[in-house]
Parts: sequence; structure tokens; C-alpha cells
Amino acid sequence: MSDVVTLVLTQAPDHALVANCILPDHFAALSAQEIASLPVTHGGRAARLGDFFKVSGERSASVRLEGNLEKVEGIGAGMAGGELAIDGSVGRDLGLAMAGGRIDVRGGAGDNAGGARPGAAKGMSGGEIIVRGSVGDDAATRMRRGLLVVMGDAGRGAGRGMIAGTVVLFGKAGPGAARFLKRGSIVSLGKLERPATFRYACTYRPPHVALLFRHLRAHAGVPVNDRHLAGRYERYSGDFAELGKGEILQWVGE
Amino acid sequence: MKINGVAIEDTFAEAFTMRVARIVITGRNLKWAREAALKLTGFATSVIGCKVEAGIERELAPAETPDGRPGLSVLFLTMDKESLPQQLVVRLGQTVLTCATTACFDGLPDAPDRLTVGKALRVFGDGFQASKVIGGKRYWRIPVMEGEFLVEETFGMQKGVGGGNFLILAEDADHALEAAEAAVDAMTNQPGVILPFPGGVVRSGSKVGSKRYKSMIATTNDAFSPTLRAVTASQVPDGVNSVLEIVLDGTDGPSIEAAMRVGIRAACRPGVRSISAGNYGGKLGPHHFHLRRIMSNGP
Repeated sequence: MSDVVTLVLTQAPDHALVANCILPDHFAALSAQEIASLPVTHGGRAARLGDFFKVSGERSASVRLEGNLEKVEGIGAGMAGGELAIDGSVGRDLGLAMAGGRIDVRGGAGDNAGGARPGAAKGMSGGEIIVRGSVGDDAATRMRRGLLVVMGDAGRGAGRGMIAGTVVLFGKAGPGAARFLKRGSIVSLGKLERPATFRYACTYRPPHVALLFRHLRAHAGVPVNDRHLAGRYERYSGDFAELGKGEILQWVGE
Repeated sequence: MKINGVAIEDTFAEAFTMRVARIVITGRNLKWAREAALKLTGFATSVIGCKVEAGIERELAPAETPDGRPGLSVLFLTMDKESLPQQLVVRLGQTVLTCATTACFDGLPDAPDRLTVGKALRVFGDGFQASKVIGGKRYWRIPVMEGEFLVEETFGMQKGVGGGNFLILAEDADHALEAAEAAVDAMTNQPGVILPFPGGVVRSGSKVGSKRYKSMIATTNDAFSPTLRAVTASQVPDGVNSVLEIVLDGTDGPSIEAAMRVGIRAACRPGVRSISAGNYGGKLGPHHFHLRRIMSNGP
């Protein structure tokens, strides 16, 4: 057993590399050799994780990924626990349908980060994903529970069809964000084009936002400004095309 | 044994195992956190009549509270497991939920016994309430006219100690009160301890039962009442004309001992003849705080 399992990308993939076997909660019970033998798909062909990554460490739920991972997809898909720290940007389906644990990406992520499997009624059901860069389209789609923090911008449809949970967007959000929100919160510190089916409620200092931001500062090292932590937010209830029990909290100033 | 010329009697305080919860109340500033805490801990001096014993444990700096605002921690103690959540729900609902700017958090996060206090309070939201899981803990956001009241879903409960005490036997009432005030000042903000009586001081120490009234479960401690020296089996020494008691409840025995140590030392001042303690012969309570041992140990 080691403190951390480290995967260093040694063979850059030519095509999409689906590596949904990268799961800290599974790695906790596997040797380095077993981890290297896990199946991946490269351009639709079967391969082994060890064909692309050098594995060091074993039997740990703390995992570190290094390298240019923009073509690596499905990292942490279905993850239920542990910690995944990623140095660099990753491809689509990061933390797809994740249930627990934490993913911290020191880079960006592709489409469907913290999203749902095709046709699934719900997406992420727990855990935390922090993306220090930007994310692609459909982030946190149909989220049931959990937290997605995007410190850059989000593409189209962030938080679409959320059932509950929290999305924090530091940057701007693309079109269609929060559409068909049932419950749940989208905390927007940048520009977000609200659907017409949301209604203004009030401007206030939501106590749970301060609590959340203090948690992110203390436990994830997210550099949240005081003006956001203690700031005023406009609350918009919606989506009234759905249940209308969700909210967009739009930061408006100190 | 004497401290500053004050005799430390060779006796012990006898205390009981209780159930304790720690409540952290924060507010926009300390004034509002204190307003809530004072209402919350009102009429909570003794389980004999109040069913709960409660008090402010200490002030909390913003860095010590979950939401980074000034706050206070409050200890709540009952004799049994069942009544603690009942008391918390009723009291928090009427005093902290109603108090402007406050939020309410659990102060015993590691206690395995969890009381679903916030979960019970959430229904005040009439279906408009919402929950958030932050750092693995669930919080309830209850909409109120001011904005939102935030309360943690569960609060920890653990075994605590109730009924630690010491008696200040003084030449007159003025000196007894001065000594008691000095002791309370010294014990204020001691971690893990509250002084549940008014100003931290009890003038009406009690004995179990009654010599005359069958319905009374506690009556005046005639043995330490100076005006009864001539008509009862008095324990009031010559030259003593007033006795005040300090009662301490806490999360554990060592915390109570530490507070008693600083409190007794502060109470040993001119005009005080001796320090004693209340007990029942050691047969009722499992926790025995021997005065001389406490004062011989520690700093």
C-alpha cells in the first residue's frame, strides 16, 4: 500500500482514449500491475491502461494523473469515493454519473463533466468535482446530488435538467444554462443568460453560499474572494417550465 | 490544606452522568449570537425544575465557526437520551430560529449519536425549505421573513457530567458574592464547561427530598443555611455567615476539574473561611471531584 497511486501519461493517444477504469475507490484494492492491466478503449480498440500510463504506487484511494489528458475520456466515471488529482486538462465525461469522492482538475475539462450517461434519468449523485479551468457543454446535466465547481467558463447547457445539487460557475456560462432545472442551485459569479422561465425573488446574502465557499477554501484550496464569499446575490427561482424549486444565485456585488 | 489562608475541606463534589450536546450559534455580530444564546439557555438552571441544564460555554472567534462569523458555543445537558432532542427542537425553534441573523451548527461533529434536530426544525419551512450537503454534512435552509435560517441537520450527543460543584463559605454575604464573582470570572470561557445558574452562582443549594413535604424532590440545604445553624444539624462553621455554591456541568470530568481548579483558586480571597463541596455520601453519582486532589494537581 502506498500513499498515492500516480499515473503518468507516457504514450500520447492518437484517438479518444476511454479510460473509465480510472477510479480511486477501485484502485484502493489493486496492485500496480493490476491497475496497469485495466481495460481501456483507444479509438474503439481494446487496450490496457499500462499501454499509455506509467503506474507507480498501489492500493490507495488517492490518485494523481499527470500529462496532456485532453484525449482521455471518462476519467472518474461512476467514481464512488477517494481523491483524484489531475495535473492538466482532460477530455469529455469527467466524473460521469459520479457518486462520491473528489476530483480536482488543474486544467480544463471537455463536454459532459459531472454529467449523465446517455438516456439516464440522473447524472452525478454525489461527490465533488473542481475544475480550475473551463468546461465544455452539458456540465452537470441531470445532477441529482453533489457539487461541480468551474473556475473558468462553462459551455452550453450547464446544469441542464438538474434534479438537485450545486453548480458554482466562476466564469461566464454558455447559452441554455439552468434550463429545465427541477431543484438545485447554480451559483453564478460571472455572466449567465437566464432562461425566461426563471423569476426574480430577492437580493440577499445566502448563508449557505458563504458556508460552501469557506469549505472550498479550507478543504480544496479554491481561492474564493471575500467579495464573493460575503457578497449579495440575486435569487431567481425556476425553472417554471419544470418544478420551479431550483434557483440561480447571481452574484451582484459586495 | 489552605490556599491564601482559605481552608480547602477534605471532601468531594458528587456529580452525575448526563447527556450533552454542543450548539454553535453564529450571528452577524456577537451581539445577535448572544441574544439567541441567552434566550436559548434561559430557564435551564437545573433538571429538577427545568428538565435541561444549559449555558454559554465560550465565545468563538470567526475563524472557529463554520460560517466565519462571530459566535458562541452552548452546552445542553439532560438526564436521559430521549429528552435532549425534544428540548433542543423546542428551544432552538423558539429562540435561535426566531433570532435575527443567526445560524446554528453542531459542536460535537465526532459524536456517533446523532440527533435529528435540524431535520425536525425544517418543517417550519412548510415545504419551501431546501437542503444542501456541504463537506459531507447536510444543512437545512429554512426560508424566513429576514431571508434564510441555516441549521445543521444533525447534532452530536455524548455522555457528559452534571453537578460538579463547590461551596464558598464566607464571613458575610458581601465577601461570599465577591468570591463567587471572582470564581465565575476565572471559569468563564473554560472549554467544555458551563455554569448553568444565574451569574454562575447558586444561593439556594438543595438536598434530596424533604423532611416535611412528601411531594418535594429537592428542598433547601439546611445543613449549609446559616440562619438554621441553631435548629438543624448544621455544617456551617463558626464565623461563617453566608454560603454560595458554584455548579458546573461539562462534556467530561477533566474539563470540570480544570475549571474547578481555576475557580476555587480565584475564590480563595479575604473574607472567605473555607471551600467545601456538596455530595450524597458518594452513593448516587459516579463522578467524584475531590477538592484537595484537584487543587494539588495541575498548574
